[in-house]
Amino acid sequence: MQKINRNVVLALLSLTSLVFLLFQLCYYKFYLSQKHVVRKFLGLISSHNIPVYLIDPLILGLVDKDIEQIRSSPDGPSPECKYFCAPRDFTTFALLDKTWKHEVDLFRTAEKMGFQWLKIINKDPRLDGMDDLSGMEIPLHYIFKLASHAIHLVVFYERSGNFLWHGPLRLKQHMDRKFVPFRKLHFGRYPGAYEKTELLLVSIDALKVQIPKNPSSFLEEVSHSRFLECRYREARAFFQLYSDDASLDAVEFRKKAKSLLHLAALTLNNLGVNFWLSSGTCLGWYRQCNIIPHSKDVDLGIFIRDYKADIIPAFQKAGLPLKHKFGKVEDSLELSFQREDDVKLDIFFFYEEDDHIWNGGTQAKSGKKFKYLFPKFTLCWTEFVELKVHVPCETLQYVEANYGPEWKVPVKTWDWKSSPFNVQDNGVWPIDEWDNVIQIY
Amino acid sequence: MEEWKPNPTVKPHKKRSWYLAWKYKLMNQRALRKLCQTGAVLFLLVTVIVNIKLILDTRRAAYEEEEESAQDYDDEMLNVEVPRHPVNNKKVLDVEVYSSRSKVYVAVDGTTVLEDEAREQGRGIHVIVLNQATGHVMAKRVFDTYSPHEDEAMVLFLNMVARGRILIFTIKDEGSFHLKETAKNVLKSLGSQVAPFLSWRDMWTFVGKKGGEVYGEKHAKSPALSTWGDPVLLKTEVHLTSVEDAECHWPDTELNRRRRRFCSKVEGYGSVCSCKDPTPIEFNPDPLKDNKVFDVPVAVIAGNRPNYLYRMLRSLLSAQGVNPQMITVFIDGYYEEPMDVVELFGLSGIQHTPISIKNARVSQHYKASLTATFNLFPDAKFAVVLEEDLDISVDFFSFLSQSIHLLAEDESLYCISAWNDQGYEHTAEDPSLLYRVETMPGLGWVLRKSLYKDELEPKWPTPEKLWDWDMWMRMPEQRKGRECIIPDISRSYHFGIVGLNMNGYFHEAYFKKHKFNTVPNVQLKNVESLRKDNYETEIHRLLGEAEVLDHSKNPCEDSFVPDTEGRVYVMFIRMEQEADFTTWTQLAKCLHIWDLDVRGNHKGLWRLFRKKNHFLVVGVPASPYSSKKPSSVTPIFMEPPAKEEGAVAVPAVAAAEQT
Repeated sequence: MQKINRNVVLALLSLTSLVFLLFQLCYYKFYLSQKHVVRKFLGLISSHNIPVYLIDPLILGLVDKDIEQIRSSPDGPSPECKYFCAPRDFTTFALLDKTWKHEVDLFRTAEKMGFQWLKIINKDPRLDGMDDLSGMEIPLHYIFKLASHAIHLVVFYERSGNFLWHGPLRLKQHMDRKFVPFRKLHFGRYPGAYEKTELLLVSIDALKVQIPKNPSSFLEEVSHSRFLECRYREARAFFQLYSDDASLDAVEFRKKAKSLLHLAALTLNNLGVNFWLSSGTCLGWYRQCNIIPHSKDVDLGIFIRDYKADIIPAFQKAGLPLKHKFGKVEDSLELSFQREDDVKLDIFFFYEEDDHIWNGGTQAKSGKKFKYLFPKFTLCWTEFVELKVHVPCETLQYVEANYGPEWKVPVKTWDWKSSPFNVQDNGVWPIDEWDNVIQIY
Repeated sequence: MEEWKPNPTVKPHKKRSWYLAWKYKLMNQRALRKLCQTGAVLFLLVTVIVNIKLILDTRRAAYEEEEESAQDYDDEMLNVEVPRHPVNNKKVLDVEVYSSRSKVYVAVDGTTVLEDEAREQGRGIHVIVLNQATGHVMAKRVFDTYSPHEDEAMVLFLNMVARGRILIFTIKDEGSFHLKETAKNVLKSLGSQVAPFLSWRDMWTFVGKKGGEVYGEKHAKSPALSTWGDPVLLKTEVHLTSVEDAECHWPDTELNRRRRRFCSKVEGYGSVCSCKDPTPIEFNPDPLKDNKVFDVPVAVIAGNRPNYLYRMLRSLLSAQGVNPQMITVFIDGYYEEPMDVVELFGLSGIQHTPISIKNARVSQHYKASLTATFNLFPDAKFAVVLEEDLDISVDFFSFLSQSIHLLAEDESLYCISAWNDQGYEHTAEDPSLLYRVETMPGLGWVLRKSLYKDELEPKWPTPEKLWDWDMWMRMPEQRKGRECIIPDISRSYHFGIVGLNMNGYFHEAYFKKHKFNTVPNVQLKNVESLRKDNYETEIHRLLGEAEVLDHSKNPCEDSFVPDTEGRVYVMFIRMEQEADFTTWTQLAKCLHIWDLDVRGNHKGLWRLFRKKNHFLVVGVPASPYSSKKPSSVTPIFMEPPAKEEGAVAVPAVAAAEQT
């Protein structure tokens, strides 16, 4: 009797598992249909001559592994569905704004093809910095949904500073919050900044799509793409309180500082060294979206792990001779460059500890060392004087650490040894090291 | 799994059920059975686990979505829900119209759509056009028919209004003095009983449908010449028609959708809203071969003159080589109608909250527009700057395409301008000829980005300075000795009559007779000779071949220049130092060219045409070209007429008028 029961149970269970299997088969079919949705979308797009390119990190990740093979065989037959059938909720494409004319017809056709679509528009950040201009709102994201798969189309805009920008995805109140699982989107949590990229037409899974020419460097960018807009409104309020210095000297200083910053950025970018706006330059960006005319120099920060011995010769080659070098790579390194009759460029190297980050200072005549402490931070992109540069994402903490809670009030007399909020004495360099750690040219 | 299925082909023995038979069979294959059982159990376990996980995952995902659905993605400014306009199902509009000496108003359904009680303003006939289906105001005009010619403008306007629209008329102060027969007849044809007999200081209100019924009319006669008629108040009802009746039946295309939106909102644009034969709103002019300015952004600076903007954009979009995607219209203020015009043509428009007043407001608007242009097109090296009261020549972009490389390469250039200040009907001749001039004409010009970003933007006049942006740009501190390239025959035409610095008289005197190129595809002559050093060589060559005119004659007389064609003549005038323009100004006056300030000079040399001959004027001894003067010739000196006291201030003020 017991045996019979066991068999019955087994039979029943197998039956259930059969049902389960069928269910899974359905799921498998659903994954297959992803590709179908992508194909339909690409058809829609090409019928309207809209040049989109694939930026989906999951697919690009797979593509990157086989990139050589894909490149070499543009029409290579790929029997299996290797890339587009990997399970995911979205496929992400990008669109360069200036390459298409906004068309109403696109959406009509999309609807006819069975797509539901959502368009996310917002203010144009390129006009945000402007006093009281209001343009038409610009499209930032489109989502096309068909059955259970969605296409996320990110619109990229060219910004001053020769880079591409995409906006954040923010839902207006009346929008359908459950249109797609928004949290799973790869793009849109924050705005992002990217280098302009060349495109490559490839055929993957028998679908012809454009992809960034170098997927791995694009993927690398994705992870550090977060962009911060300057706080234009606060900057305007600041200038209402303290009117801007429009004297000829101020104009001249800003012009010089801007061109110095451009030169420094070019030099460091060529070396592949990450840097960010620090001290007064960072404060200028954060407080007034401009260079502070009485700040006298341009300040940059670099993590010591990014230090390269080539930095000094590279600047020399760019026409910026070393003015002084304080400290050493192991401790409190600081470099200053200056052309004749020009603004000084200070580069501070930052040392990471477990719970804070610091950089050092050295007084030339006494050999005294100083230490400036900052809470930990990460780097974000921003646009500043027509340049794409890094600033600490946690800018407020950074600026407050450096300048204290009164950072909003302009100060004209500044002593780097005593004025900063976060300065600490850090002993004295041993005399026998002076020749090395205090070099003035 | 086959083994686990009952086998229907096995028939049960005797009374034994199929199950027992099956069991029996299996018991005989013990090993196989064991194997199957274990396999099945394993398989089961795996499927169950996988499926449970799947279910859990889905559940969790769904739960998460619900919990925090997209909180990161919520718009931080939780906009107040835009109140939806209640659908207006009302079929009848209450209209109130008031006419009196010092005040007029019109109210539609209790909303005042016109109210004018300002002193010394708004005299004449006020006209309001309502949409017969929605009751929205589509146009508001006032025609000062106390003054001459205004009645003609009114007739023109009324003829443009589409049939079926509701027209409301009311007189403020006086509206009959120059109301001629034609205009009265038009009003009569609209159904007015009173219009033909309107007379001095009568008050009058009238509401009617164009080409249809009359909803009401009231009139109060003036009892005597010195007094006005009593105020009249007309209250009437207007029956609305259905939207379908009020719209034209154009084919449903993207273009017509724009047209429909435009035509249901505004009136007074003539055939663009004609049902039968609407004028096109897309022009598709021939593209230019090797167009060097295809990617150059075009900023159109506009105020609240939508009819001007409409005319301007038509001519701009008809110019060969135009790229509509690069055009941005900057509107100074939150005016709806200019924006409607921009949208009609499918262009992008940006509105600007007015800052400061008068000239400073224009100046701030320019700055914002230029900055925004370079922000929107960060790749651009140049920007074309246009104004809303310009006609654009058909070869405007061709002209720029052929000359823009000079602006990129020649540091001594300030701008390229489409406008020749001295290019009048009688002084300009050669569409292929370019000049270098020390003044900046504006009125359709190209700005280099580096000039703007590095020099102009940082020190642009602040809002409290009531400066004209163009006068400021002409100042030596900004221009720094650089020059502009201009054509002999202008590629733009200034048609604006109303404006901040403009009036009818002024326009007639200085702008109306300006020459405007209408020839397409003009091949410019010898563009390379416009470079700094080449130009000097060119001028010396020109002066070398020029015949010296008879300096004993009066240069103002026509006979001063012989009746020839295609020759080069030179005359010498007295010019003590660089800034001595006494004689030049007098000469300009008698030649009927721009004399309000000095324009079009290059190192004390002016180039123009007289009687189809190239005519050069050299200021001696200030000009470096003075050496070309034969020693026998005495430079002509012309004295300003006496009693210039009052006029001294005029040039300074009037110079501003060219903006």
